[in-house]
Amino acid sequence: MQIGTNQFYNKNATQLGKLATQADTLNTQIATGKKISAPSQDVVAYNRLSAIKQTNADSKAYASNVSLAQSLLQQSDTTLNSIGNQLQRAAELTTQAANGTLNDANRKTIAIELQSIRDDLVSLAGTTDARGQPLFGTASGGAAVVQASDGTVSFGGTGEISAIPVADGTEIQATDSAQRVFGNLPASGGGTTDVFAVLSSLISALNAGGNVSAATGSAATGLKAALTQVSNVQGSVGARAARLDIVASQATDAAAARETDRVGLEDTDISTAITELQKTMTVLQATQASFTKLGQLSLFDYLR
Amino acid sequence: MSDLLGIGASGVRAYQSALTTVSENIANAATPGYAKRTADVREIAPALGIHSGGGIQTGQGVTVAGVTRSADALRAADVRTSSADLARSETGIAWLDRIETALTGNQLGDRLTGFFNAAKNVAADPSATVPRSALLEQASAVAGSFTATGKALDALDANLDATAGSAVTTLNSLGLALAKVNDGIGRAQPGSNGAAQLADQRDAILDQISAISDVSVSTDAAGRATVKLGNAGGPVLVTGNTTGTVTFARGNDGTVAFALQTPLGVSTVTPGGGALAGIVDGAARIADARTSLETIATAFTDGVNTVQAQGRNLDGNPGAALFAVGSNPTDITVSLTDPRGVAAAAVGGGPRDASNLKNFDTLRSSGAFEAKTTALISGNAATLNGRKQIAEAQSAIRDNAVAARDAVSGVNLDSEAVDLLRFQQAYSASSRVIQVARDTLQSILDIR
Repeated sequence: MQIGTNQFYNKNATQLGKLATQADTLNTQIATGKKISAPSQDVVAYNRLSAIKQTNADSKAYASNVSLAQSLLQQSDTTLNSIGNQLQRAAELTTQAANGTLNDANRKTIAIELQSIRDDLVSLAGTTDARGQPLFGTASGGAAVVQASDGTVSFGGTGEISAIPVADGTEIQATDSAQRVFGNLPASGGGTTDVFAVLSSLISALNAGGNVSAATGSAATGLKAALTQVSNVQGSVGARAARLDIVASQATDAAAARETDRVGLEDTDISTAITELQKTMTVLQATQASFTKLGQLSLFDYLR
Repeated sequence: MSDLLGIGASGVRAYQSALTTVSENIANAATPGYAKRTADVREIAPALGIHSGGGIQTGQGVTVAGVTRSADALRAADVRTSSADLARSETGIAWLDRIETALTGNQLGDRLTGFFNAAKNVAADPSATVPRSALLEQASAVAGSFTATGKALDALDANLDATAGSAVTTLNSLGLALAKVNDGIGRAQPGSNGAAQLADQRDAILDQISAISDVSVSTDAAGRATVKLGNAGGPVLVTGNTTGTVTFARGNDGTVAFALQTPLGVSTVTPGGGALAGIVDGAARIADARTSLETIATAFTDGVNTVQAQGRNLDGNPGAALFAVGSNPTDITVSLTDPRGVAAAAVGGGPRDASNLKNFDTLRSSGAFEAKTTALISGNAATLNGRKQIAEAQSAIRDNAVAARDAVSGVNLDSEAVDLLRFQQAYSASSRVIQVARDTLQSILDIR
């Protein structure tokens, strides 16, 4: 087949252009570190990369929720510890007050200490968290406990604060309401009472003097129930914190697995790409050389 | 002896013409559309029945009867068909590529993910203003992304209209040019250099037309081309020196239609190849992408606004609509400006309740907006990838067709050099004949 001169040049121009494009593509892959710059280059990889990217973003949002929940649970734990200590001291004082050898003056002194414990408990119940919100608050908002001018304490609001989403389909209750910590104690005459009411009635009984055995008896029962309740809540807080740690470590493992996937799908294998580039360059140079040689061949050179 | 002089003179004249043809070939070796020409060198035979001199018939010399154009109509038709196929794929690829850019440029999927994740952070701390403001920011990013993607598709449509308009204009002017060439071919003397030039022009114009639309071409005895758009049953664009006008129109559903207007009436053009067919494909793809995008946008805005209405905002009131939609489903704006207006709480839930935000998660998984966006992009990408592979094969087919055509009609400088030598020697020899004739005559004249 005869090759037209025009065709010879056109064909070589096309071939050189193709090789240059190939070299440029490889160069871009090496420079950007990415194999895929448009979805159409690898549709399957694009689909998987989109899913990975979305899960990464989800996991980032969950991570900030996890760290918030962790700090809230940590603070709850510390605060509940202090509350437990105060209640322990109150229980000891109650036992002491029940001692028949004490006189009214001694009991008044105990009443003063109990009063300060009660004040401490009220302020612990009103603790605010890192965000400035009541730690033992409720869904309806506002202060956790409200102390009236006569000294009686009531719980502010109703409902538990919403649980925090920490993973797909997993939520953690990061805080507990004051009612759950201090309230819901069985009263001696039926119904329920709370720690503050128990302490108030003991304090007034001790201040009144006389026979306090009935008052100390019911206070001891109430405080024991309160201590059990606080340690239950504290145990639950600890369990939730442990669960959060598991969630967080699962998230870290999953992120590492996703990163491995992503690197395999998206990142340029530098050594392969450089070898490929070298090959392309060699072919390009050889084509240029052979084109130049063939182009020089002309019968006209021999016509003299 | 006058015969010898005459024969020598005819040789000089004939080989001069032949040399001119060869040098014309050499000069046009790189001219696109130029078909190699050959001088048709023939002996001048003596007229039958006339006996000259001693009764021995001798030849009368040589003449160039005409110029033959080395062209193969079938191979040229192959090139046209394969060019039309390739042009269709390449035009389609260009549009699919632009759709890909339009769909991915605004990172709609990422914005949707960002919005739903911002809702998760509000759920962690429903009474705080900062996460709520962040949610509104993400909402406006999603709205902006939908709007920008919609606008990018609008821009593509406008661009496509302009491209289709200019393709049609080019096609019409090529039709006019071909009609003029046809007219010229009718007047040109067959076998003349002029006829060969006009035939070159005709084939070049036909090649250009076939890049715009697939054509079915037939030529009459004189070489005038009749061009039908599409297959052999298609409407006639050019016949003789008359040409029709192709027009372009847009349907309400975004589809593109072409029509051919001739003195005989208007007929529909259904291009099966060339840029026009690629434009039809591209318009359909843009319309499909827009429909999918609008479906996602409508489901998303309706879903979010419904969730808002189900919940209560920080002040305990029913949530107002978060998104407002303009005349187009993708023209989305954020109508909620106060972060307190985000309805995080369920009915009666209070400011620190975030139960209603769970409905966003439900909406996210039931609506699958991100997956649908990815599917929209990857569907287009898969088509684009497939088209690129087809175009690669079609490009190879066309290269082969061009090589086959050029093997017949292309100029090879080496063979021209050989012809140059051949005709130069024949020319020199003919001039020698003239000299011999003179010398012979002279020897007779010298007899005293």
